[in-house]
Amino acid sequence: MTTSTASTPLLNAEPITEHRSPATEALRRLLKHRSAQAGLFLIGALILVAIFADLIAPYGFREVFRDGKRFEAPCVHLLGCDPAETEHLFGLDGNSRDLFSRVVYGSRLSLMIGLVTNIGAILVGALIGAVAGFAGGWWDTVLMRSMDVLMAFPSLLLAIAIVSALGPGLINALLAIAVVSIPVYARLVRASVLSVKDLEYVQASRALGASPIRLLFTRILPNAVTPVLVQGTLGIATAILDAAALSFLGLGAEKPTPEWGLMLGEERARALSNPHLLIFPGLAIMITVLAFNLLGDGLRDALDPRLKR
Amino acid sequence: MPSTMRLYKALSGLTAAALLVAACAPAATPTAAPEPTAAMAPTEAPAPTEAAAPTEAMAAYEGLKVEAESCDYGGEIQSIEAIDQYTVKFTLCYQDPDFLSKIAFTVFAIQDKEYLDATGGDSVAMSEQPNGTGPYMVSEWRRGEQVTFTAFPEYWGDAAKTQTAILRWNADSAAKFLALQSGEVDAVDNPAAQDIEAALTDPNMQVAGREGLNIFYVGFNNTIAPFDKVEVRQAIALALDRQRIVDQYYPDGSEVAQQFLPPSFSPGFSTTGDGATWYEQNIDEAKALLAAAGVAEGTEIELAYRNVARGYLPEAPPVAQEIQAQLAEIGLNVVIREIESTEFLDATAAGQVGFYLLGWGADYPAATNFYNYHFANTQNLQFGEGYTEIFDTITQAGQISDPAERQALYDQVAALIKRDVPMIPMAHGGSAVVYSAAVEGAHTSPLGNELFYVMSAGKDTFTFVQNGEPAALWCGDETDGESLRACNQVYDALMAYQLGGVAVEPGLAESYTANPEGTEWTFSLRQGVKFHNGADLDANDVVATFEAQWNAKSPNHVGREGNFEYWGAFFGAFLNAD
Repeated sequence: MTTSTASTPLLNAEPITEHRSPATEALRRLLKHRSAQAGLFLIGALILVAIFADLIAPYGFREVFRDGKRFEAPCVHLLGCDPAETEHLFGLDGNSRDLFSRVVYGSRLSLMIGLVTNIGAILVGALIGAVAGFAGGWWDTVLMRSMDVLMAFPSLLLAIAIVSALGPGLINALLAIAVVSIPVYARLVRASVLSVKDLEYVQASRALGASPIRLLFTRILPNAVTPVLVQGTLGIATAILDAAALSFLGLGAEKPTPEWGLMLGEERARALSNPHLLIFPGLAIMITVLAFNLLGDGLRDALDPRLKR
Repeated sequence: MPSTMRLYKALSGLTAAALLVAACAPAATPTAAPEPTAAMAPTEAPAPTEAAAPTEAMAAYEGLKVEAESCDYGGEIQSIEAIDQYTVKFTLCYQDPDFLSKIAFTVFAIQDKEYLDATGGDSVAMSEQPNGTGPYMVSEWRRGEQVTFTAFPEYWGDAAKTQTAILRWNADSAAKFLALQSGEVDAVDNPAAQDIEAALTDPNMQVAGREGLNIFYVGFNNTIAPFDKVEVRQAIALALDRQRIVDQYYPDGSEVAQQFLPPSFSPGFSTTGDGATWYEQNIDEAKALLAAAGVAEGTEIELAYRNVARGYLPEAPPVAQEIQAQLAEIGLNVVIREIESTEFLDATAAGQVGFYLLGWGADYPAATNFYNYHFANTQNLQFGEGYTEIFDTITQAGQISDPAERQALYDQVAALIKRDVPMIPMAHGGSAVVYSAAVEGAHTSPLGNELFYVMSAGKDTFTFVQNGEPAALWCGDETDGESLRACNQVYDALMAYQLGGVAVEPGLAESYTANPEGTEWTFSLRQGVKFHNGADLDANDVVATFEAQWNAKSPNHVGREGNFEYWGAFFGAFLNAD
């Protein structure tokens, strides 16, 4: 007891930061990262918009303006639009619906698409990668070669093929995007598993009698969290883009769903005559994808121990 | 009904022999076509020309004859007979005031008998190397891209003004218009309303307006729930704001439809009685009707359409969404389903689609063309189980030539349609073809019959963009305007529609005569007409072409789907159909 009390001042003399957990440390680095800040801010705003879409959007996304003329340009009272006219921040679309409201409601869909497809792909991919890496041998060969086959297809083409087979629709598009994202996660997780499965701490655990399942889930897989988190964030951006592309091609969301890609696809030929129909949904896609890419970059930097300053 | 088809050999049967003697005797004077009788007033017929070569005695001509044993089989045609090499006679079971208009239609264009036999009447096989008598030959059909036509040097009429004509398609109105603006194409059919407005002020373009001889309707199949209930159909009719749809999605010159027929059809368009005007919008009544029919709030129904621009419906997707939004007000949850064009037409005609957007453009300007095809046609199941009252009244009206009597029946038809609501008449769409300013001979046809051979853009190709790809390049079994426009360039029928108009004028038949009752029509064919494959046109080609459609047992009765919907619509019934 006396020795320990004697050593306390020494311990206390060390800088407090040394005692932070790796997660806190990573979070601190993330919050300091410039692009991560921008990404987090944008994503935060998007999430708020999505949650409070009912309050933010002045009209319903299916609501047709009986007295409005279709393709009407934006009318913003603050910018000098005649106050007698109804205000439409982004103008009206090809069915006389308020474009601003549609873009706002579209944020819900896009976030949902990004999250759902990636969570699904991570769950399946991680399982495949973990089994392949941990079991090795025949399992590894079969599982990873089938992942290689999936990766050999251009992902969007494969998604188009899957949707064509299942029939167009948002759910099928989500499924297709999830399927084409699986191999990336499988590879990541397998690599993590391989790199640690023969390390001493794992062997120690095994020697103490831990079951393979316990070993896998409590000793090995936590090592894969970091790369999967980084990849998952970037993957959300890709998934949103893929979903927009599928909807643009008429294979994703169905009319009149306020899906940004679908909105672009429906009016793609009006780029010259009514550019507002394309600018706003296009901007929305761009900002969302940019936000997730920025955050993904920030996460990678923050979580990579080699980049630690 | 049993019937026979007989091949008459010259001098083999008494009747035939007598006819042949009359026609083929080495006469000192040329055999002239008999004077047209007054009854049917063939005003357009030019003076009969020398029908048979006077100098050489004609070799015994084996004229074909197809004949129904009796008229009990239910159709309009009793017999078609090649009297001599250049004379064909049609005998009808009843008089038909629209007979000439009907046979001028592209679907009844004349094909070479040998070619027809060789291809077995299969439209797909015939589309590989189309063979007609028209001003253009098909040199290539690049599927999914374009059809290329080359001028036929031995065409019997005026030579084509441009050596190569190209037919392209694009379902996207705005993309088509961009192609015209960039000078990539010379003509664009059915641009969107805004683009027509833009073209009117563009010095590089000329707009040729087209009269709205068409109908856009929302159709129901009464064998598919919930559209089997008349209350549901009426409720939807009451819920729609048709004026708004015309205002928002149609170009100038369009109007809200009150009936299935365009207003200029007389006899036909009803000006008195219940059927003269359609229902006014009434949301409350619509809701009450739905409730009475036991259709709960939020019931899901599917609305199908095809995404092609038509004179009757320039932009289908936004109109479908508009209807979706309008029906949400009476508590119907509409799910929109877009179907590929050909598949959509086949599925509706087969009675597989319950609720859909479709329309009709005139093939010839008479009530029979609109009514009979849709409501008195056993081949067409698009409205489900036949509405027998409507069916019978329309059939009856089509066989009467007195305009007042016919009109009285058509008044009943309009009222019956309003009562039963097999469809909701939405709009008569004005449309246009926009040409580049350099095009000479620019025209439109109210029948959608624009002919490329009279047009020139001052260069060696002329490119026309329509809305969709043809389904086949032999149109005997086609109904879609996209296919018909392509066929119009390649084939000729016995009669023809005036360029840019609806009047009937001689085509492959140079002249014709009719008996006073209007049941016997004798056509004298043009001589020296060549098919693209080098064969000469003769009367047997005419008989064989008509037989392939009429006689269900003919080996050439194949077509693409084998429905021959136009035959059913125009001439009632098929021979040997059982």
